[in-house]
Amino acid sequence: MIVFDQLKKNDPHLRTITWGVLAGLAILFIGLWWVQVVSHRRYAENQKAQSFRSVRIPAVRGKILDRKGAALAENRPSYNVILYLDELREQFRAEYASARKPRMIAVALPFWKRWLGFSPVKAEYTRLNATQRLALERSCRFRVASNAVHQVEAILQQPIGFSFDDFMRHYTNQLPLPMPVIQNLDSNQIARLLEGRANPPGLDLEIQPMREYTGGSLAAHVLGYLMRDNSSMEGEVADFSFRMPDFRGRTGIEGAFDTELRGKAGEKVVLVNSLGYRQTETVWSPAEPGRNVTLTMDAGIQAATDAALQSAMPNTRGAAVVLDPNTGDILAMASAPSFDPHAFLKGFTHAEWDRMTDEHMKPLLNRVTQGTFAPGSIFKIVTSLSALEHGLDPLEKIYNPKWIHVAGRAKPIKDLADAGDYDFKRAFIHSSNTYFISNGIRHGGIEGLVNLGRRLHLGERTGLLPRQEAGGNFPFSALTRRGWVDSDTAHICIGQGEVAVTPLQIAILVAAVANGGKIMWPRLVDRIESGDPNSGEPPTIFPHRPPRDELGVSAHTLQVIRSAMLADVEEDVGSGKLARTPGFHVCGKTGTAEVTDTHGQMIDRTTWFASYAPFENPRYVIVLMVEGGAFGGTTCAPAVGKIYKAIQQMEQKARPSVAQAQ
Amino acid sequence: MRSLTPFPLGANERQSRVDWLLLGALGFLMVVGALFVYSATMVSENTAQPAWYNQPWFRQILWYGLGSLAMLGIAAMDYRLLARWSLVGYVIIIVMLIAVLIPQIGTERFNARRWIDLKFLQFQPSEFAKIAFILAMGNFLSRPGDELKSIRIFWRVLGMIVLPFLLIMKEPDLGSALILLPVGLTMMFAAGVPPRFINTLIGVSSLLVGLILVDVLFAPPSWQIKLELYQKRRLLVYFGLDGAPRNATPAEKAEARRTQHNYSYNVEQALISVGSGGLLGKGWRQGTQNALGYLPRAVAHNDFIFSVIAEEKGFMGSVIVVTLYSVVLFCGIRIAGQARDRLGKLLAVGVVAMFFSHVFINIGMNIRIMPVTGVPLPLLSYGGSSVLCSLIAAGILQSVYIHRRS
Repeated sequence: MIVFDQLKKNDPHLRTITWGVLAGLAILFIGLWWVQVVSHRRYAENQKAQSFRSVRIPAVRGKILDRKGAALAENRPSYNVILYLDELREQFRAEYASARKPRMIAVALPFWKRWLGFSPVKAEYTRLNATQRLALERSCRFRVASNAVHQVEAILQQPIGFSFDDFMRHYTNQLPLPMPVIQNLDSNQIARLLEGRANPPGLDLEIQPMREYTGGSLAAHVLGYLMRDNSSMEGEVADFSFRMPDFRGRTGIEGAFDTELRGKAGEKVVLVNSLGYRQTETVWSPAEPGRNVTLTMDAGIQAATDAALQSAMPNTRGAAVVLDPNTGDILAMASAPSFDPHAFLKGFTHAEWDRMTDEHMKPLLNRVTQGTFAPGSIFKIVTSLSALEHGLDPLEKIYNPKWIHVAGRAKPIKDLADAGDYDFKRAFIHSSNTYFISNGIRHGGIEGLVNLGRRLHLGERTGLLPRQEAGGNFPFSALTRRGWVDSDTAHICIGQGEVAVTPLQIAILVAAVANGGKIMWPRLVDRIESGDPNSGEPPTIFPHRPPRDELGVSAHTLQVIRSAMLADVEEDVGSGKLARTPGFHVCGKTGTAEVTDTHGQMIDRTTWFASYAPFENPRYVIVLMVEGGAFGGTTCAPAVGKIYKAIQQMEQKARPSVAQAQ
Repeated sequence: MRSLTPFPLGANERQSRVDWLLLGALGFLMVVGALFVYSATMVSENTAQPAWYNQPWFRQILWYGLGSLAMLGIAAMDYRLLARWSLVGYVIIIVMLIAVLIPQIGTERFNARRWIDLKFLQFQPSEFAKIAFILAMGNFLSRPGDELKSIRIFWRVLGMIVLPFLLIMKEPDLGSALILLPVGLTMMFAAGVPPRFINTLIGVSSLLVGLILVDVLFAPPSWQIKLELYQKRRLLVYFGLDGAPRNATPAEKAEARRTQHNYSYNVEQALISVGSGGLLGKGWRQGTQNALGYLPRAVAHNDFIFSVIAEEKGFMGSVIVVTLYSVVLFCGIRIAGQARDRLGKLLAVGVVAMFFSHVFINIGMNIRIMPVTGVPLPLLSYGGSSVLCSLIAAGILQSVYIHRRS
């Protein structure tokens, strides 16, 4: 070995030099080993961190379907034109070169140089400092990009707003991603673009799913809305360099089942060069589409309900709910005024947002579950249940002098029913306050009412839609409260005072009367399943739950009330006769509650119509409430009638096809 | 002593043979150099490339060819003949080093005046100064050992070192200037200059360097030596300082840190390149650091060629490169040991010191054990002057070997 030859040699100087060289080389070896082997991982990660950008790709959102599979919320492809800036780099450079054209100046040359063929023209470049160069580069890039955009304009024959700021924002923040040029092309434009004769380089057509609510504002409160939110969900990779636009459900079904509907975002990795331009990209994990949510709702009934509610009065503020009394399945649920959920995808102007948050109209409030109102005469159904169970004879008559004086109250309570003798049926269909207050107090009293209130789970939520439900109010403490007097009970008997309910709670109550006393859980979601029938993924079924409670009243009591409800609609003197539907025995009860201010002055009315049909075999419960209506019988009953007529037509249309199928 | 003959054909067959091991190592290094200059410059960019004969890898091969011819020519010459003309060479190179500083003659690139432009080619006198310096020093120091003990001779030696050192510093080319110091010192040591002189010299120069560093890095601005801004920054980068005065506002400090960060960029990226190569590397032309431009294109194929090799061939590649240099160095030391006279030994030692300094400083700056100075890696870095000088230096080694003791 030559190394040791030197060391053995009897030349101390050379030996020292050899040792020195050896030591130096050893340092290099150790240093290299340290950097390349020991610290390799750290540097490899640094290298990855600086040259890879991860992009979050949102999954296609699941659909929301009605019970027959018709889409209430689906995705429509939006065709967008995008521009890959990295493919324009060549043009950026060319543009810059032409922008920095040298000045050609003639120089005096000695004759021999001219003779040798040296050119007498010299290129002189203007000198630029760093700032000027940067500004020139920017404007060149923008020129190239806006030329490309102009070409797109020419192809699509549509002006596109494209500013220097737009470009710079994209260039500085999202360079490795394609630059969006224009969204939502129509089919003509797509065709023109696909011809592709004059397409600038780097141009591409991208398809992005956009949420589409097929009925517009139909059932908007149930479906909910989405808002722009690109953030990662729990359990997802969190540190993306870039995120593609995504949305998150905020309310309604979109909000409650956001995790299922949203699917699983994918991840794409873009390799970028030192200038940040895209080099290559690979999809690491593809996005998994979200699952479809099938509701118990029926799109046809929903549309009819919505239309009927709208027609109840101009600028209706109200709620309507249709449910199946036997199962608790909600067939339709409408709250007015409604809103267009598409608006949340785009964002609002100030004026639009003011309209959305209007204190009087409250369009975002789901009045079916979130609004609590005095039930008024509707509550006489509960009073009837209590009184009949506590020994009221429905045939017994009492005299109504058009008012009733209750102990502990200075002023008598008015009765809108004509003066005269009233038995149960007459009192029910004329909604006599005198009859129900005196019999309510005499038979059962506050104990009977509280007992029923417990069974009906008044003041409690049903858990139908999270953060979109109110429990209402009921004076359960009346039994133990000191100072509770008959006049307080009197108010409860006619649905005023310390009782506030949601239209949904009333629907559950009517369903119980109709189905023989079962307090049902309302059900809105039937199942959640993969949109791909071949996925083999088992669907998540939400089965019908056993009744939440029992009314605990006799069949006879129910029979009396049902007959009274039928009479209320079927008899010409009934307050709900405007809901009458030929061929469909509708049973109902009207209600008009007074909304008073703190001084006891009436400021508004809450009008109600609570019903079920058909009498013989109840299949539908419809409760409709309108704030500021005239009377339950005139404002709400006709609207409910329209819904029953629509349902009747739908059933008739469906029947022959069922027969054919069999 | 035998009479000098320009072409010593009288030597016997075995004696005249060149050092094949050295030649082999050099050849291997040239192959590696050509391959990685190609890899560093032919990155997957769809930009218009110049014609193949104008591309760096081809020019590098041309320089290898020219350099090899020069090496053979020098090797065939008797080194004593070279030494006899060394003083002339030294004077010429000093004149050229002065000339390069004159704006009409020297060409300025990257704020440094290092090149003389002869229209058809440009060359760096500072590279050739190293060769001239070794020859002149060897010639001067090969006088009888007693004379070296005189302080007058010592001062003259010192003068021989300091004159080109200052001129090259003026260009400025800190790297090339600094190389002269270890080369000069090693040659003095090998020549037998009394240790007290050398130790004093080392002591004084380290003290000087230390004082300069402290002055540059920490002294208030009015007390600092005027150093080129970029040189100062390189030093700041190496010592991890941002160079902001102590009473600077937070904004100024942030700005200074940002500048420091920008200037440490090359070092950072070189380190990432080398480190991310790992044990086996990413494969030839697969290095992303260079292809994506993180390792700046302007330096990837010359001063930072080693990081390209280390990234693409990993630790194994680095070991092979360092081993090849080791072979060259130890061959040089062996040649020094076998030299027929002190002149030959000193020349060989000078060449070994020069190679070693280049290799150590260049690879050292890639792994951050040395500050960044523009020192090329012999035979691997792209550049005609550097390749030519390395091969001429190797030619001197061969000449000493061919004319060794029998």
